[in-house]
Amino acid sequence: MGERRRSLLVGVALIGPALLVLLLVFLWLMASYLWLSFHAQNLFTDLQPVPVGMLNWRRLVLDARFWQDAAQTLRFALVSVSMELGLGLAMALLLNQRWRGRGLVRSLTLLPWALPTTVMALGWRWIFNDPSGPINGVIGGLTGSTVPFLASPSLAWLAVVLADVWKTTPFVALLLLAGLQMIPADLYEALALEGGNARQALLRITLPLLRPYLLLVLLFRLAQALGVFDLIVVLTGGGPASSTESVAGYAYLNAMRFLDFGYSATVMIGMFAVLLLLGGVLLLVLRRPARFQP
Amino acid sequence: MTISTTVSSTISSPATSPATALQLEGICRRIGARTILEDLDLTVSPGECLALLGPSGCGKSSTLRLISGLDSPDRGRILLGQRDITALPPARRQVAMVFQSYALYPHLSVARNLSLGMEIRGVDGATIARDLNAVLELLQLGELRQRRPADLSGGQRQRVALARALLRRPQLFLLDEPMSNLDAQLREELRPQLRAILCGGGAPVVYVTHDQQEAMGIADRIAVLDAGRLQQCGTSRELYHRPATLFVAQFIGRPQINVLQEPDGSLLAVRPEHLQAVEEGGVQVRVVSREWQGASQQLQLDTPRGPLRWVCDGGRTIGDTVRIAWEPRHEHRFAAGGGRRLTP
Repeated sequence: MGERRRSLLVGVALIGPALLVLLLVFLWLMASYLWLSFHAQNLFTDLQPVPVGMLNWRRLVLDARFWQDAAQTLRFALVSVSMELGLGLAMALLLNQRWRGRGLVRSLTLLPWALPTTVMALGWRWIFNDPSGPINGVIGGLTGSTVPFLASPSLAWLAVVLADVWKTTPFVALLLLAGLQMIPADLYEALALEGGNARQALLRITLPLLRPYLLLVLLFRLAQALGVFDLIVVLTGGGPASSTESVAGYAYLNAMRFLDFGYSATVMIGMFAVLLLLGGVLLLVLRRPARFQP
Repeated sequence: MTISTTVSSTISSPATSPATALQLEGICRRIGARTILEDLDLTVSPGECLALLGPSGCGKSSTLRLISGLDSPDRGRILLGQRDITALPPARRQVAMVFQSYALYPHLSVARNLSLGMEIRGVDGATIARDLNAVLELLQLGELRQRRPADLSGGQRQRVALARALLRRPQLFLLDEPMSNLDAQLREELRPQLRAILCGGGAPVVYVTHDQQEAMGIADRIAVLDAGRLQQCGTSRELYHRPATLFVAQFIGRPQINVLQEPDGSLLAVRPEHLQAVEEGGVQVRVVSREWQGASQQLQLDTPRGPLRWVCDGGRTIGDTVRIAWEPRHEHRFAAGGGRRLTP
């Protein structure tokens, strides 16, 4: 009894500081935003919070731009994250094989991820530039005309996806590589001796045993991608015609350009609720990890 | 615990062609500058169980990996039946292996662990169900069929690994220290079982172990390896009574054989159990220490030519002096350099 209580106390003492910081910077923040979402705080109220009940929430439900941004954000997240998982898995499988120079390539692949987002977004803005970027340099040289990558609503979001995939695939590959290295080599040897080929090894051993890692990466990346902000601000500024605007970008716009803090808080809380729901579902799936032999 | 031979025979495959089932010819294996195996020749007869015995690092597990195809030799040929399998990938060798770690698929139940191999080989569902049930019954795994490997004891895991090997219907079984993860008591219990299941005249077995008791208990013949070289291959009687090298003489038999330096530089070896007390003649010795072991006692003797071990049936205490001798037929003589046997 005393033993158990003491270990409980030690546990609380150990996680206490981290919990306190979380409470301060996260829960307190979310709570004050939730409170703010039931208030108007804008230029008409002299930037003082005035209770307005459900007004902000009613506005959110009817706000076509919010729903358009939500759809755009979801499309961006789904397309970029699935590409990152596919490419990252391929990269991890390749980096898990034995070949000359693997160590060097492993370090090099991490470079895009190590680059600050704003810096690499500026780089991609130049690459996609019409007409003076290198891609248009090639296209122009071949066809005589150039492509307005960042000025066309149907292409700009793909440019954003491409830049994001370029930056985050190495991160995905690194996490999956860690997962691959947890799989004992003798399982593959056993399957080979049973008559299995490489494809069967991938389907019957690698993917099932990598499942917890795949789900973890999926959770990480979806949460990050759904909150995308800095990449879009630098690369397209949300344009053209708000066709690449994300929910986070819209919340920022409401607060910092329209000085409508009450509504901005509502957008944020709305997005947070969706993320929470998504994370909850994924965590439920995650809870049953494949067990290894001790 | 009885093993149904009828079930056993439906599972193990018929032996290959007569003469030799497995033949290794001049196998060499190097990793970097290190020589793992040097010019190894071995043959295994149909239905035979051959143990590869030696200290760790002697090349016994490497030999197994070469036979299975998980590694390739730098030189030499491997023949399985009439087939040259030296260049064949592991999947096409029709060889089953029980790994030291058992290598069970951690995410699959016992039943799925066993059926996966048949599934990927394209065996039809009815056959899979029939063979699976037969092997589950043979190895008394029926109750465990839904368990994951993590929920099994060491002995149960070993049985699953063995069942998986049986279901492969191989031309050859390879076992890599299958008992090393089990406690001593379980090991002795399982030895006759393992022998009954595997060495029952079906496909031949190559069994790697560092434990001479295990090798003697399971194998028909034993190949002793040291530092990548085959020291001797023969029955346990041959290894005990006519060791080909000093290494074999010292590795086989407990307590270890006595070795005395002869004036000409050669070595004379006599087993502790072959020393006898005599009335006259022989050597005068003094008992310096004693270990009582129930049926016998092991004495440490001090002699003018150095210390000797003696296993006798009692009646002596520390400080006693006694005359001991041995029959000439129990003498082994070895050359000074490589320790090769000199006596016929």
